[in-house]
Amino acid sequence: MSKTRREWLFNAGYGLGGVALNGFMPGGGVFSVPLAQAAATFVDPLTKKAPHFAPKVKSVIWLHMDGAPSTLDLYDYKPELVRLAGQEVPESFLKGLQVTTSGGAGKLFASKRTWKQYGQSGAWFSDLLPNLAQHADKITFVKSSVTVGATHDISILKLNTGDVTPGRPSLGAWITYALGSANPDLPPYVVLYSGKREPRGGSVNWSSGFLPAVYQGTAFRPGASPILNLDKPELIAAAQQRDNLDLLRKLNEHKSGEQPSDTELQARTRSYELAYRMETSAPEAVDLSKETAATKALYGLDNDATKDYGTALLRARRLVERGVRFIQVVSGSVDGISDDNKNWDAHRKLEENHGANTRAIDKPIAGLLADLASRGLLDETLIVWTSEFGRTSYGQSGDGRDHNPWGYTQWLAGGGLKHGLTYGATDEIGLKTVENPVDTYDLHATVLQLLGLDHLKTVYLRAGRAERPTVVYGKVVGDLLA
Amino acid sequence: MKKPLKHVLLALMLGASTATIAIAADVAPAAGPARSSGASRPHWAYQPVQRPAIPEVERKAWVRSPIDSFLLAKIEAAKLSPSQDADRTAFIRRATLDVSGLIPEPEDVAAFVNDASPDAYEKLIDQLLASPRYGERQARRWLDLARYADSAGFQNDVTRPNFFRYRDYVVQSFNEDKPYSRFIQEQIAADEIAPGDQKALVATGFLASYTDNPNARDLIGRKYQITTDITDTIGTAILGTTVGCARCHNHKSDKITQKDYFSLQAFFANTAFDEKIPAAKGEQEIAYEKALAKYETAAKDILDKQKAIIAQIRDKASSFYKERYNPDARASIFKPKSEWNALDRWVNYRADVVTDQPALANYLRDIANDAQSPDHTPEAVAKWAEYQKLTEELKKFEKLKPTRGADTFTAATELGHSDSPPTYVYFGGNHERPLDEVQPAFPEAFANGETPAITPTAASSGRRTALANWLTSPSNPLTARVFVNRVWNEYFGKGIVGTVSDFGKAGDKPTNPELLDYLANSFVDGGWSIKKLHREILLSSAYRQSSAHRDDVAAVDPENKLLAVFPRKRLDAEQIRDSFLQASGRLEGAIGGPAVYPPLPANLNVGPAWEASNDPHEINRRSLYIFARRSVPYPLLETFDLNNPQQAHSKRDVTTTPLQALTLVNNDLVFQWSQALAGRVIREAGADEGARLERLYQILFSRSPDAYEKSLLQAFLDEHEKLIGAKPSDGKFSIAVPTGKDVSTTNPIRASAFVDLVHTVANSNEFIYRF
Repeated sequence: MSKTRREWLFNAGYGLGGVALNGFMPGGGVFSVPLAQAAATFVDPLTKKAPHFAPKVKSVIWLHMDGAPSTLDLYDYKPELVRLAGQEVPESFLKGLQVTTSGGAGKLFASKRTWKQYGQSGAWFSDLLPNLAQHADKITFVKSSVTVGATHDISILKLNTGDVTPGRPSLGAWITYALGSANPDLPPYVVLYSGKREPRGGSVNWSSGFLPAVYQGTAFRPGASPILNLDKPELIAAAQQRDNLDLLRKLNEHKSGEQPSDTELQARTRSYELAYRMETSAPEAVDLSKETAATKALYGLDNDATKDYGTALLRARRLVERGVRFIQVVSGSVDGISDDNKNWDAHRKLEENHGANTRAIDKPIAGLLADLASRGLLDETLIVWTSEFGRTSYGQSGDGRDHNPWGYTQWLAGGGLKHGLTYGATDEIGLKTVENPVDTYDLHATVLQLLGLDHLKTVYLRAGRAERPTVVYGKVVGDLLA
Repeated sequence: MKKPLKHVLLALMLGASTATIAIAADVAPAAGPARSSGASRPHWAYQPVQRPAIPEVERKAWVRSPIDSFLLAKIEAAKLSPSQDADRTAFIRRATLDVSGLIPEPEDVAAFVNDASPDAYEKLIDQLLASPRYGERQARRWLDLARYADSAGFQNDVTRPNFFRYRDYVVQSFNEDKPYSRFIQEQIAADEIAPGDQKALVATGFLASYTDNPNARDLIGRKYQITTDITDTIGTAILGTTVGCARCHNHKSDKITQKDYFSLQAFFANTAFDEKIPAAKGEQEIAYEKALAKYETAAKDILDKQKAIIAQIRDKASSFYKERYNPDARASIFKPKSEWNALDRWVNYRADVVTDQPALANYLRDIANDAQSPDHTPEAVAKWAEYQKLTEELKKFEKLKPTRGADTFTAATELGHSDSPPTYVYFGGNHERPLDEVQPAFPEAFANGETPAITPTAASSGRRTALANWLTSPSNPLTARVFVNRVWNEYFGKGIVGTVSDFGKAGDKPTNPELLDYLANSFVDGGWSIKKLHREILLSSAYRQSSAHRDDVAAVDPENKLLAVFPRKRLDAEQIRDSFLQASGRLEGAIGGPAVYPPLPANLNVGPAWEASNDPHEINRRSLYIFARRSVPYPLLETFDLNNPQQAHSKRDVTTTPLQALTLVNNDLVFQWSQALAGRVIREAGADEGARLERLYQILFSRSPDAYEKSLLQAFLDEHEKLIGAKPSDGKFSIAVPTGKDVSTTNPIRASAFVDLVHTVANSNEFIYRF
């Protein structure tokens, strides 16, 4: 072996020839210990680690619109689609697309939208998002999003993990792995959701994949006690538990004399103190009682239609304030939809579906942007509005749209971005990306970049392979960055 | 310098405990033949296994097995000595946890400690290996590799109600000490080598455990993903190689080309799965059918009406459903059966089995709702309204529907044909860009010239039999090495090859190649007997060593690569839960059968994905039997680094988090176990508090408390009693007391303090680790 794999890794991955451990891994400084000792010493896997370069943002709020909105009816204004509505899709637009709608592509479909431009940037918004439109100049649009897959499960996995089959870590897990925790009293990667039930697919969406489980997302459940097993057993009083934990520490310390250099055992003893603190810090983080009525109203907590999602977003802001790195908010099913699909999956009755879904999110998201801005947090936070794919320009079932992985809109807001920019475009009917395609890998690379992480250097060795968040793809979309 | 860098790199990447880090361990360069340095020499792991000479050692008295000689030679070369034997109490706790996944009962400990016969250790080990608990424990390891689950994954995560049979097959195989070679052959090709034998056929659940989404529209893509999953699983689990890396490009560190990779996929080109084969009728099947009949009788009227509605639209609905597939699959689906080739056959079979009644009903919904549909008629609207009404009415019978069990089983099939669809090399792994066609072949780098001997049968291609025979051929350089190394890894916390699923060039080199080959060679010579392998390790002096810290070892060998000290280990998720249940006296010993649903924490609402049971006979079963739902890993286990069933899981991580502490301190079930354990202690030890402490320590740690612990715990009881007594009362005074039959307590407040004591002692490091 003239050149070993590990040398290759060392050189290619880190661009260094020497033994500069600091360059190895974000936060290498923490691990600058004698070699022999390094592997034998237990290191808290969530220790805060420094990024590769100066970050633009500290936290990410990842707004996943579950079910896939029709961005054609929200942001991507296509007068040509309105003009051609009711006609067959011209053949030229379908070239190279694997159309999977029953009976093939339906006739072009236009909804009853009215459109207006907003802000200095003149960004287009439909009448479904009147509140968000007021923040046009805070937003960076990507109107050329592309992905893989024609079913939700596949494309949601790809959106969150970069692969179309389960098993890879989610983006949040990679970030947690690379940066550690900024606040030991709370999990660094939190999942919030609206609706009554866990998101479909559950923890697969915030899985740590092949990374150790410590990096997976922690779902915060609705209600006062967000983390599983946070509440003491029913009949145990606080003072009683404190007394128990003191006894536990003494028992552990007594036995630790037999294993004096065992840092893993010491870490376990300490973890009980962290847990004890979390019993207070986690409920406090989601306790909205100290928020003013004005703040609550800003998020729409005073209205049944917006309360659910608004609560999730207000929680998200509180978590940002407390140093949580990655907050993944999954939109849930909403009331007021007669169809089976109560998330964004409007195969039918788009009008009713998107009416209810936009009502649920419009005010809360606008409120979040305004609130973060007024608290000076918007510049150090990244908000990503995303979905597994978009919806087709042709109709389905008469009044709905099918899945579209070829061209749809996502947007970003917050620190490090060119605000008010519209990047990329779809064709005249909004079906397929025609310039500057942005795949999920590119989005991931860009998010990592804003957090100060080089996606090519964020690696984890697994079974002989240097894995990274963007698999073997991805490029930072530099044009979006300020 | 290279080697330490790798360690640190891994350590840094994980930022985690040493136990999560695969550590290679050439403290002293391996004596004996150089294995992989020469450019012309094949990689060490790809060369045939050799029977190595047993090295000479000074401390001959320490050697109980050749294993000890191989280790001792290196320990002595480093001027160290092995550790003295662990005392018998520590040994029995260690061995029982390792072999059966449970802590020993105090009576077993006493019997072993007091056994003066010269073969006391042999008797203990043979007893442990003969217990069905052994099979349950070893099965869990294999199921990790088999990415076994009781559901299919993806968003809908549909239940696979009969997959428990595969799990039971694995348990039984270990308990019967089925030769590893046969075990592999059955899992890969039972339908070819033992057609019609249900007991063997369920073994192919190993192949069938891939994640799946029945509603996928891209059927050709799905076939490719399934084949990829199976091929990569075999590469990881059996061959310990990263062949999957060669799917998109030639392997970067091993000589595995894309052609090699797809030639391996070709063994599965004609493989499909039947998930609904009628099972032989035993007690479980009869009970299931009875329960199902009860539901179907009660709801008969509604079910019949729904069926009748669907029958009227079946043809149109099924062709409508087929229209939704990608154009490449539609080409197969709309081809007349007489023109089907092997690929068309697979696609149509798949489309057929996933098209169920709800899928057909979607057509009715769509034409009823879509006024512009050519099929939209007032009758369609009425039918849909009626169908929906019936669905609503059906809900009141939902409770009667059996939530567990099945009268079917799943197995691989080639659909009665011996001709396979062609397999191609795909450019960049993209199945839409086929290059050259390939035939089934073994990867050249480690085939050592062997080629597949494929004999088609009347109903099957025979390809998988050929693969299974090569995998289990004594000349295969990887299969035995990989397996013995996994077993070693379980006992000593790290493998002789640290990267247990990567024996390739990028993986770690063996720390003791002669030992690895000795084990692999004896394994194959011993008829692939897994129990013999375990027995030899368990009875070695190496395994018998104390885990007590030694300054001299820490100074010379801080990572304990030489194993001059026995490595302590955090219990894995199942060991923690099962041992806690065992201590509480609540563990149910039943073996096998449909998976169970113990309660979830109150604030986890996953709807019908988890219909929790209250039946103690179900919820207190071993963790192995808890329903493995891919979207809802059982939280109590998941927090302790449960395997991730999406892909083959090679090695359990060890992480230490506050969420684990919260689980063991606050989880209601765990607290109830502590209450039951307190009750058991009182019942078994009587009124004397000293005797109770003694009993508690014997149950949890197989030892007596020392003087410091006794006085600490006694003082805690006094103080804690006062604390609980002073608890503010809101009219009714509620405290947690010991539970169970015949638990008499004269002072409930002190009894409550004792519950807290028990709960706290059970939370201590000593319980969660084995030393």
